[in-house]
Amino acid sequence: MLRIHCPYCGVRDHEEFSYFGDASKSYPGLEAQNREAWVEAVFMRNNPKGEHHEFWQHTLACRRWLVVRRNTLTHDILEVLPARERSLNATQPAPGSGPATDQGAHP
Amino acid sequence: VVHHVVVWSATYFYVSQSDKGGLIFGGHIDRYNSYAQRGNLANWSETMQGLASLVPFASRLRLLRSWGGIMDMTPDGSPIITTTPVPGLYLNGGWCYGGFKATPASGWCFAHTIANDAPHPLNAGFTMDRFDKGRLIDEAGYGPYNHLQ
Repeated sequence: MLRIHCPYCGVRDHEEFSYFGDASKSYPGLEAQNREAWVEAVFMRNNPKGEHHEFWQHTLACRRWLVVRRNTLTHDILEVLPARERSLNATQPAPGSGPATDQGAHP
Repeated sequence: VVHHVVVWSATYFYVSQSDKGGLIFGGHIDRYNSYAQRGNLANWSETMQGLASLVPFASRLRLLRSWGGIMDMTPDGSPIITTTPVPGLYLNGGWCYGGFKATPASGWCFAHTIANDAPHPLNAGFTMDRFDKGRLIDEAGYGPYNHLQ
């Protein structure tokens, strides 16, 4: 059982939350034509053994989206941030997100 | 007491009986990435409730041991049974949580793939590059989101 500290509601069991996977990916713009960029964004995941940035939504309470930094081996939860705040600060450009970011300019 | 493999999709639960007499049962995945190999209480509880609901007398039995492993998930929830770009290397994996029950058929297809260095028509679609080519085998209807499966 994970215990996640929701910034809005406090510490809750993970059963209240829904998991939405890797939060380190950035997606190409909707008009991007580059197939490799889409394959990279949609399908490719590093699936690290260790620290992992991931989306959770507090579905059964405030319904806010969160970015959780969690160790996938020990299940230690190292940081929980509101998803919006994290994207504004963007302190950690995630591994593998580089090549897929600026494909929106593609004609 | 259980002569078949019983699968109950309402909670995702399955139970069968070993030759030694013990009941073997299991339930759902954690739904989040994990290398811990120990499951968690919420899943234990859900699995026990599945057994007790389906086979009520089993609630009086003792639990001998439990097991948690790593599931090899693919983006579309179906396995990869295929040749690879490396000559002589074949891959049968990414079974998500369906592997054991499909072993006779998949083993037969895999043997055919190795013997002929080409897939049988039954597993021709289960390639590694199907994600790249947009030919997903999306049986569960969740698209490329394996955490929803």
